[in-house]
Amino acid sequence: MSLLWIGALRGQRRPLRLPLAASSVAAGFPSPADDYIDAGIDLNEALIRHPSSTFFLRVSGDSMTGAGIQHGDLLVVDRSLEARPGQIVVAVLDGGFTLKRLVRHRGRLRLEAANSAYPPLELHRCGDVQIWGVAIHVIHSFGRHG
Amino acid sequence: MAEALALIDANNFYASCEQALDPALLGRPVVVLSNNDGCVVSRSSEARQLGIAMGKPYFQIAEQLARHGVVVRSSNYALYGDMSQRLMASLEPWVAELEVYSIDEAFARLPRPPHGDLNGWARELRSRIRRNLGLPIAIGIAPSKVQAKIANRIAKADSRHAGLFDLGGPIDPDPWLEATPVEEIWGIGRRLGRWCRLRGIANARQLRDMASSELRSKAGVVGLRLQLELRGISCLPLEEAPAAKRETCVSRSFSRPISELEELRQAVASYVVRAAEKLRRQHQRAGRLTVFARTSPFAPQVHGASAGVTLPLASNDTAVLLQAALALVPALHRPQRRFVKAGVLLQELQPEEQLQHHLLVPLPPEQQRRREALMASIDALNRRYGRGTVQWAACGLQPTWAMRRGQLSRAATTQLQDLPTVWAH
Repeated sequence: MSLLWIGALRGQRRPLRLPLAASSVAAGFPSPADDYIDAGIDLNEALIRHPSSTFFLRVSGDSMTGAGIQHGDLLVVDRSLEARPGQIVVAVLDGGFTLKRLVRHRGRLRLEAANSAYPPLELHRCGDVQIWGVAIHVIHSFGRHG
Repeated sequence: MAEALALIDANNFYASCEQALDPALLGRPVVVLSNNDGCVVSRSSEARQLGIAMGKPYFQIAEQLARHGVVVRSSNYALYGDMSQRLMASLEPWVAELEVYSIDEAFARLPRPPHGDLNGWARELRSRIRRNLGLPIAIGIAPSKVQAKIANRIAKADSRHAGLFDLGGPIDPDPWLEATPVEEIWGIGRRLGRWCRLRGIANARQLRDMASSELRSKAGVVGLRLQLELRGISCLPLEEAPAAKRETCVSRSFSRPISELEELRQAVASYVVRAAEKLRRQHQRAGRLTVFARTSPFAPQVHGASAGVTLPLASNDTAVLLQAALALVPALHRPQRRFVKAGVLLQELQPEEQLQHHLLVPLPPEQQRRREALMASIDALNRRYGRGTVQWAACGLQPTWAMRRGQLSRAATTQLQDLPTVWAH
C-alpha cells in the first residue's frame, strides 16, 4: 500500500460564511468594494428552475450530434415541463431512456434524431412511448479538467 | 375559513423510487430488501399483485421471486433520501404548512375552500407528483390528523378512489369510520386495541361515540385527544420544522456475526467516519460520543454493551472522534460473544460557529484551520468520486463484515458517476 499526499481541494460547495461587512472594524478606511460583494455564481441556481423535478442523465451515442449533444455529455432534464414540438426530450422506449427531438410532422407527433443516419419514430405507431422529461441544458466538457 | 389536514404519502416508496430512475423497471414487479438483504420491505404494485408478502425473509422466497421474474433490489438509501427531499420540496408550495413525518409521508394543513371540495386539488397534486418525480402518492384529507390517516388508508385500499379520499368533504363519514377496525386507528396500540374489543368497540365509529369517561379511565388525556380527533376536532397540531438535530446515530447490522476485537474496531471506526461526515454536512460538532454493540436478540443470551465519553472539546474532526471511539471499543468487546450490530451515537450537538476560542483548544488556530480544510477535502473527494475514495485506515481495507447489499442500484440522483444513461442511438 502506498500513501499519497493530497493538498486541499478548492472550489467545493461548502457554504462559506464570509464576513460581508469587512469594514466594520474601526481601524482603516472602508473598502470601496464592500457595497459590491456578490454571492458568486451558482450554476444550479442559474440553470435549474425546478430543482426537485430536475435530474441529470449521461448521454451515450451520437444520434443527437446535430443538436450539439455529444457522447458523454451531461444532460439536464426537467420532468415538470410539458413537452412541446421542437424540444429535445427524454422518452422511455423498450425499457431505456432515449434522447430525441419531438417534432410535429404532417399533423402528427414524432421523435426524430438529430443525425440523418437514424430514422424517425412515429408516436402513433408505437403505443407505449412515454415522454419522461424535457432536456433543458447539455453540459459538454472539453477533455478532463475536473 | 375551515381548515383541512391531509396525510400525503408515497405508495411503496422504496420500490417506486427504484422504478422512477430505471425505466427497465416500469410496469415490472420489483421488491426491495431490508439491510443485509434480509427480507422484503417494499413491493411495487406489480409485485403485490403476484402475492409476494411483506416481511418475508429473502432466502425463503428467492426461488418464487425468480420464477415470476421479480426484480430484487437492496435498500439504496442515497436514492430514497434524495427522492424524499424532492417529494417534500414539491409538496411544500401546495399546502399552507407541512410536517415531514417520515421518509415517505407528511402531514399538511391547508384551507378548505368555501364549496368544501378538495378533490380537484388532490387530483392535480397527485398527477403533478407522478409526472415530476415518477412517484405515486396517496392523499387522505380530513378535519384532523387521526382522521386523515384513516382517509389515506381508504384512498389506498380501493383503486376506485384513485389514491385520494376526503373524509371532511360533503359526505357522511360514519360508514367509512365504521369500516375502519379499531386496531387500524393511528395511536391505538395493541393493548388499547384489545381493551376496546373486550368492550365491544370494534371500529373507529364506535370508539368515537363511546363514553369519554370510560375511555379516559383507561387511556387518559391521550385517549380523549384521540377521541376528539375522531370527532373531527383537531387537537394534534402540526409539528413545526424540527429544530436542529441534537443527536445523530449511525448503526448497522453486519453481514455475519463478528467476535474479533479488531473487526469490532473496524466496524465502529467506519460508523464514526460516516457520523463525522454527517456532522460536517450539518455544520455541527458533537460534545459527547457513545459506542454500542449487541449480539443477536434471537440468541439465547443477548449481550448488549455501550460506552460513552464526553469530549474535552466539541468536535467534528474524524480523527478526534475516531480516537475517542476506538478507546471505548475494548469496553464493549467480550471474547466469545458474536456481535451482529454496532453503532455510534453523537450527542450534545452544537452549531459549528458556536465554538471558536477555548482555553482547551488542542490545536493552534492555524493548525485547526488546516484540519478543517483536510476534512473538507476528504468530504469533497468522497462526494465527487464516490464514497470510500479516501478511506481511514482504521476502518480496515476490505471489511468482510460490511452490510450485504448484493443487489444495490446506483446512486442515480446523487453521484455523478452513477447517473442513468440516456441513449442517443
